[in-house]
Amino acid sequence: MSPAVRPDAEAKVAGRVDFGADLEQPEMLWGALVLAPVAHGRLRSVDLAAARAKAGVVAITASDLPALVDGRTGDAERPAFPQETVAYRHQPVAAVAAPTIALAREAARAVRVEVDPLPVLSDLEAVFPEWPGSGAGGSAHVAAHVHARRGEVDRAFREAETVVRETYRTASVHQVALEPHACVAEVKDGRWLVRTTTQSPFGVREDAASILGIPEESIVVEGAWVGGGFGGKGASFLEPFALLLARAAGRPVRLALSYREEFQLGRTTLPSVVRMETAVTAGRIAARRVRLLLDVGSSLPGRDFATGYSIGFLLGPYRTPAFEVEGYAVRTNKPPFGPHRAPFAPQCAFVVESHLEHVAREVGLDPLAFKADHLWRAGDSTPFGQKVLPFGLPTALEAARAVAEQWRRDAPPGHGVGVGLGFWSTSTGAGGEARVRLSPTELVILQGEREIGSGSVIVGLVAVAERRTGLPRDRIRVEYADTARAPYDAGVFGSRTVGALGGAVDQALRTLLGTLAERAGRLATPGLELDGEEIVLRSGAVRRRVRDLLTAEEVAAGGVVAAGQHYGKAGTFDESLVVDGTFYPYTDFTGAAHVAEVAVDRETGSVRVVRYAAWHDVGTIVDAPSARAQVEGGVAMGLGTALTEEAIWSEDGRLLNAGLVDYRIPTLGEIPPIDVTFVEGFAGAGPFGAKGLGEPPIIPVPAAIASAVRAASGAHLTELPLAPERVARALKPF
Amino acid sequence: MRTGGIGVTSPARPLNVNGRPVAIDQVPVDERLLDTVRWRLGLKGTKEGCRTGGCGACTVLVDGRATLSCLTLTHEVEGSGVTTIEGVGQDPVGSRVQAAFAAVGAVQCGYCTPGFVMALTGLLKERGHSDPFDELLDDLGGNLCRCTGYASIVRAVAALREAER
Repeated sequence: MSPAVRPDAEAKVAGRVDFGADLEQPEMLWGALVLAPVAHGRLRSVDLAAARAKAGVVAITASDLPALVDGRTGDAERPAFPQETVAYRHQPVAAVAAPTIALAREAARAVRVEVDPLPVLSDLEAVFPEWPGSGAGGSAHVAAHVHARRGEVDRAFREAETVVRETYRTASVHQVALEPHACVAEVKDGRWLVRTTTQSPFGVREDAASILGIPEESIVVEGAWVGGGFGGKGASFLEPFALLLARAAGRPVRLALSYREEFQLGRTTLPSVVRMETAVTAGRIAARRVRLLLDVGSSLPGRDFATGYSIGFLLGPYRTPAFEVEGYAVRTNKPPFGPHRAPFAPQCAFVVESHLEHVAREVGLDPLAFKADHLWRAGDSTPFGQKVLPFGLPTALEAARAVAEQWRRDAPPGHGVGVGLGFWSTSTGAGGEARVRLSPTELVILQGEREIGSGSVIVGLVAVAERRTGLPRDRIRVEYADTARAPYDAGVFGSRTVGALGGAVDQALRTLLGTLAERAGRLATPGLELDGEEIVLRSGAVRRRVRDLLTAEEVAAGGVVAAGQHYGKAGTFDESLVVDGTFYPYTDFTGAAHVAEVAVDRETGSVRVVRYAAWHDVGTIVDAPSARAQVEGGVAMGLGTALTEEAIWSEDGRLLNAGLVDYRIPTLGEIPPIDVTFVEGFAGAGPFGAKGLGEPPIIPVPAAIASAVRAASGAHLTELPLAPERVARALKPF
Repeated sequence: MRTGGIGVTSPARPLNVNGRPVAIDQVPVDERLLDTVRWRLGLKGTKEGCRTGGCGACTVLVDGRATLSCLTLTHEVEGSGVTTIEGVGQDPVGSRVQAAFAAVGAVQCGYCTPGFVMALTGLLKERGHSDPFDELLDDLGGNLCRCTGYASIVRAVAALREAER
């Protein structure tokens, strides 16, 4: 066997990696949360007496907060525990810690929570049975509202040859990282320390400081190896509870969620209803109307950006001369909306792709030709007036169309071939800083993020350094530090690690090479290479040992250090188009075209995916195996969103399928062969023109599958997931 | 001592974990094997996922057979040999499975990896290497992975079969 392709692989196959869920500490107590018994109500009392009567048990609730944080006040809108109102079922209302997990659970059960129930708003469409009228933006049920308009929309619809109107519905899906949330906290000498499984140590520090009312400098967050994130581990969650328990107990406390609680408390994508209207004249889109109701659960008013970000993705990457879009973030009694790999984008792509395919068919045009005709090209303006940067989606679509045609010719009866597109802008605007340290024999990248699995830290940053310096990877190492010592970084989310943090590493390396070149006598285009064990600076025919370019102090300190940073910016757009709320412009333009072949069982409605191919615009690839792995994993996750995954709430706000047996993610046998191709040459803002790839692969999947199901069976489905019951009903109404 | 029935007690026979005898007399009768290996023995390589048999992350070998440690009571397997991910490298089949996963890069976050390594090792030990490839993959269906889309795991199994030939 060849050696491992990832530097963490050998430790991981031997079970030698400590994830957040594996952490423990001498003398620690075990924590457990006390969860609200109803989805909405006035909190009458939380009686901790019976729990506290048990030996060794510490119990805390809202009334204990001021004493635990020395009278400071945290964010009044989001205290750790609710003071008056329960906003969702299983909202933590108290917490306990005990010497064993069994005793902690027993103590949690002994806490008496009295709540006067209030009416539960669980179903989005029960909150707004009719489409909200003007002025609903100010309703207590609306967390955020966005409304934008361009051109003479009403006139375009009046004068159109064809108008197509449809309503789509999408389901709530869960991240299902296999490692549950877990952390160990300790409060010692005025310092609040927490080790945790997180995509963002600095984000946890900032959130915890805000929730607890403690200065950020008193909190130290140390990331552990992360057993999958997918957006679910991006902000603080358990850490404030664990810190409060540790403070109350005067001992370290471990707090972890059971997998059932992962589902019940998890913050993720919630259901939506979308109305799409398109006016077509002479084979071209004349105008579009898009209206979105997005369930944001118990998100705080004014704090939700999901609608403002998503509304552009519902227009899609298509030339649209006139449009009106309106989005409502609707509050219900569910946990707050939270990010799930490309938050809500796979749902947006399903809606816009399925709708435009339907529109094309209604006017007798080939759907892919119709889409290709309208697709943005670099240099175009988006409907919001933002300039389109280098964009490989048109090229990806061309390649996908050719393969789809071939597959169609080969497909047996009962099979169908579909194409779905996905557009995304990665979060490379969020800031990052890094330091690098070069010794005579090793290059070290110092930064704050732990590896979450994609390889973006442990492989991606190293690949950037290899490419910038020329040094082989086995001489480049990533070193991690806690938030007290590491340079700031926003987090491993939004497909931003290689683009933004990698950009910071690249800048630090360029500074480092510049410094060495200067010392060596102003050499041009310097790089590094090996001469035996020694690293040498190379420029043309000149070679100088790094050892000879460092001062004695630098050698003693482990090498010469350089710093870099990356703070990207989103593009500008025509703000006069926004009537109300906030629209979020894009930092870069990336996309993918996917082709799926499916077989549909007309009796049972079950869909089997036979084969799959994906073309991705990634700018420049820095590590091909990791890039391919991202696409394979993202497609598989998207197949879950497309076909099986749906978190189902009852009318009284109870999650009915809180577990991996009833909430079905794809298993090994359900994944078809996936062919991956990269479309290079459309540079992004990352190092060497790299674009992010963590999120894009999931985006086109539900659209591609829906298109293939329609081709196979004739069923035009407007609701995710395409579960057998829905497919069967569409084929044979009963 | 362990309650063996109404009014009957008998000493629990020790486990043999990765070649080491482990007394379980002090282990409560309702403790899961998962918790015994993780928190009593400190063998954290065995992962806790759903605790309901739905993900396979906790798979260990009991007398050579792949077993979900979250659905197994420690006393239920008294006297048995238990192999965890920390010990499976001593087994020639286990060590080849580990090498194949590492070489192919069938590892992303790595949380499901120990369960996959144990499940595949158990299947290969139980059935021998003549087991059809598709059946082997079918029987890995109880192990969930959210990162890889299983593609690289299938490549690792294929590379292993190739190497055994």
